[in-house]
Amino acid sequence: MSQSLRPYLTAVRYSLQAALNLSNFSSQEVERHNRPEVEVDNTSAELLLQPMHIARNEHEQVLIEPSVNSVRMSIKVKQADEIEQILVHKFTSFLEQRAENFYVLRRVPVPGYSISFLITNKHTETMITEKLIEFIIDFMEEVDKEISEMKLFLNARARFAAEAYLEQFVY
Amino acid sequence: MLHLKPYNLLVQKTLTEALEAYNNGSPLTLDRIISDFDYTTLHITNDGTDKSNLLVSIRTKATQSCNESGNDLQGFLQAKFDEVPGLALSSAKKEAGYDFTITVDLSQITAQSIVQASLFKILVMSYPFYLAFGQSNALSQLNEIDQVEKSKEARAMVIKYRDDENIYIKPSFDRITVIFETIFQDETDKVFGKVFLQEFVDARKRNRSIQSAPQVLFSHEPPLEIQEVAQQHAHVAGAKKSTRRFITFVLFPRHYSSDELMFTSVSQLALFRNYFHYHIKCAKAYMHSRMRYRVDTFIKVLNRAKLDEETESDSRRTITGRKMVY
Amino acid sequence: MSYLNNPAVVMDNGTGLTKLGFAGNDSPSWVFPTAIATAQSGKSQSSSNKSTGFGSSSANAQSSYLSGGGNSTSATDFNSLASSTLISNNLAGKRGTEDLDFYIGNEALVASQGPSYSLSYPIRHGQVENWDHMERFWENSIFKYLRTEPEDHFFLLTEPPLNPPENRQQVAEIFFESFNCAGLYIAVQAVLALAASWTSSKVTDRSLTGTVIDSGDGVTHVIPVAEGYVIGSAIKNIPIAGRDITLFIQSLLRERGEQDASLRTAERIKQEYCYVCPDIVKEFNKFDRDSEKFAQFIVENKERTTKKVVDVGYERFLAPEIFFNPEIASSDFLTPLPVVVDETIQACPIDVRKGLYNNIVLSGGSTMFKDFGRRLQRDLKGIVNDRISQSEKLSGTRSTGVDVSVISHKRQRNAVWFGGSLLAQTGEFKSYCHTKQDYEEYGPDIVRNFSLFNMI
Repeated sequence: MSQSLRPYLTAVRYSLQAALNLSNFSSQEVERHNRPEVEVDNTSAELLLQPMHIARNEHEQVLIEPSVNSVRMSIKVKQADEIEQILVHKFTSFLEQRAENFYVLRRVPVPGYSISFLITNKHTETMITEKLIEFIIDFMEEVDKEISEMKLFLNARARFAAEAYLEQFVY
Repeated sequence: MLHLKPYNLLVQKTLTEALEAYNNGSPLTLDRIISDFDYTTLHITNDGTDKSNLLVSIRTKATQSCNESGNDLQGFLQAKFDEVPGLALSSAKKEAGYDFTITVDLSQITAQSIVQASLFKILVMSYPFYLAFGQSNALSQLNEIDQVEKSKEARAMVIKYRDDENIYIKPSFDRITVIFETIFQDETDKVFGKVFLQEFVDARKRNRSIQSAPQVLFSHEPPLEIQEVAQQHAHVAGAKKSTRRFITFVLFPRHYSSDELMFTSVSQLALFRNYFHYHIKCAKAYMHSRMRYRVDTFIKVLNRAKLDEETESDSRRTITGRKMVY
Repeated sequence: MSYLNNPAVVMDNGTGLTKLGFAGNDSPSWVFPTAIATAQSGKSQSSSNKSTGFGSSSANAQSSYLSGGGNSTSATDFNSLASSTLISNNLAGKRGTEDLDFYIGNEALVASQGPSYSLSYPIRHGQVENWDHMERFWENSIFKYLRTEPEDHFFLLTEPPLNPPENRQQVAEIFFESFNCAGLYIAVQAVLALAASWTSSKVTDRSLTGTVIDSGDGVTHVIPVAEGYVIGSAIKNIPIAGRDITLFIQSLLRERGEQDASLRTAERIKQEYCYVCPDIVKEFNKFDRDSEKFAQFIVENKERTTKKVVDVGYERFLAPEIFFNPEIASSDFLTPLPVVVDETIQACPIDVRKGLYNNIVLSGGSTMFKDFGRRLQRDLKGIVNDRISQSEKLSGTRSTGVDVSVISHKRQRNAVWFGGSLLAQTGEFKSYCHTKQDYEEYGPDIVRNFSLFNMI
């Protein structure tokens, strides 16, 4: 792991720990409803907390938007070039397609970010918060790794295919 | 599967089955449509009520442009099918809606004839290539000054084998330039295609063992050899034009020094586009497998976070073992 | 766009066999096992057969077709292919390309007999289990066997009844994202089987209401379809199908101590000699009176040097009888097929029952026995008439009667594929498909709904 990644992830971890302090909170506007307050257009500003913005550099950023009963966390995955852009897009949409299995994954990312999670008090009640944070940190590490591995694979495959094709002309 | 084979497996299978059935005394009644790459459709039928004869018809997008390059595609194919027993190009029996029809005489054909029939599409597309080989050989016989002059005059031939994609062939005294014009419909393919094409260009430089393969060049603009011709055929709309790429293969005389080599080179070149599109698709399929695997591991990590449904300490039970509900 | 002229590709991937072909043909171009042999990791061979030029592969072309899958119609019929050589795909031992090193269909069965490939069946109980393998299976089907550029063709795929919509989305993801296919339609197998019955002269109105009896190798389904929609709650399965009949014949042959009682022989006997009789007792008597009824089946080995004679006796009519009297072969499933069909239809809404009795369609290889449809119709009529007379007696009113008709037709074996071919060759087919553009605009959810063919 590179030098600057460690502090970045540590910052994300502590910010999440701080943000994931949720309580069951019924809607103030609609009777008998309980909705994630970060997700609704909110007139009651007291329910929202100050969003946290952690940036490693221009391409890698995290936005954490806490509220009284839910936290929305968005990740911008590193996309250095055209290929990585396509790969990140493919990968995140593949994950979002299977969002049902991921419980905390949001089907659509917040504009400007690659992928978003929505954690509500329901989640923190049924899951161990510490492990949940573990999952997100693990996710951030693995996504970067996966994207660069796929990119390497693509290059290797292209090289292999090209050489195999040209080999046919060697007489 | 790494390489695409030039022959059509399905044509081969159908004809082999027909032959077997014929030899067993129970000829098949056939009326089959078979497809090949690049808008090619083949049709295999019985010749009327005569069960010992089959008709194989082909319709492919490349026919018209291939014919224009030399005007004797008919004769060329005729000669090719006359090489093997039992096949004959027939203009009398040409099926409506198809470009060419061959008759297959089941009492005469051999395994070799079946292979030849299954190469139908490649044979049609190979016509301009063979013309180019001929021209190049003719040019190389001239004296040195004429060689250069005449080569400049030689016309580039076009094979319009897909809607927006063409192959240009330009013969010269010491080489034949084959240029593929290619357009990607899909955004992902465009990016992946770029990586693949770049590797085609670099492969020869990097790998010593394939030094003798044709040189490959890559450009966004039509190369000089075909600029004139490309202008004529440049009807592509502006938006698509930006995704247009040109891949140039430079064949040297060693790639067409004998009949067998000519055929190998042509059949590989004719499948170039299909080959690298096939590999782009394989790459995407492999990535899907990787991503499925990733999804599984992520879900495993996430499931570790789940609390156990019931831990002994916080659920109280009645004496009969029922759970207490608060 | 000129892909409009290209024939649509029809693929029916079943648990046992895959049928591939082009719309407009009367039979599938390829029929081979839905099997894939993948390279076993860690057992990389150092292969010396480096890339050969076309010269040699042309000479091998003949044998490559043979190993590429004779168009066998039987799931167990691969032994004859075992001896044929498998062309090396020049990939053994090359690192980083393991995903290209695999075979499908009959070639897979041949390859898996060697040490370096392992065989697996990506479809279980009609549904795709292993998507990685299935994706590669399709990849090879399209590029090697059908030789089509998926961008230029529309595809019609089939799915079993009660397939979860998530599976459809996965299919769409593969076909649109990996293969960029021009358009896709996913049809329910039973509905296609109904459409295939339109070729029968008995069918007058082309309706999509009817009961489909689909009997393949592993299991038999009875599926009611109303107006093109499957009535999922009423579907019934019978654990008796082609394989059970074959095993039953084999057990009879063994009991009699025939010279050859292999599975293959039993299967050949099933295909060539079996028929359904109207009454077993009478049929037994007929056999005893008339020795002509007994047949002999000659087994030759591959080199045609030795001959074994196998007598074929009562199993000619006894084997298919297990559909109608299951107790002769099985001890745990005892309901005869006509009763199951009746129960299925009785479980459907009352408004469609007449239509379901009226149009009972057979599909799959195990319904091919001579007079199978006739016997089913007779038995079912008996059950229905009993019920009607009973209710007439109880209520005292006259019933208008229920028409029972079982339709069998020539395309029964590949009925599902044929129905697909029939629908996909119509001009309207492409307007029912979801296209690549649609997919990109709306995402994979789009394939959750397909509009039905309403053809007259």
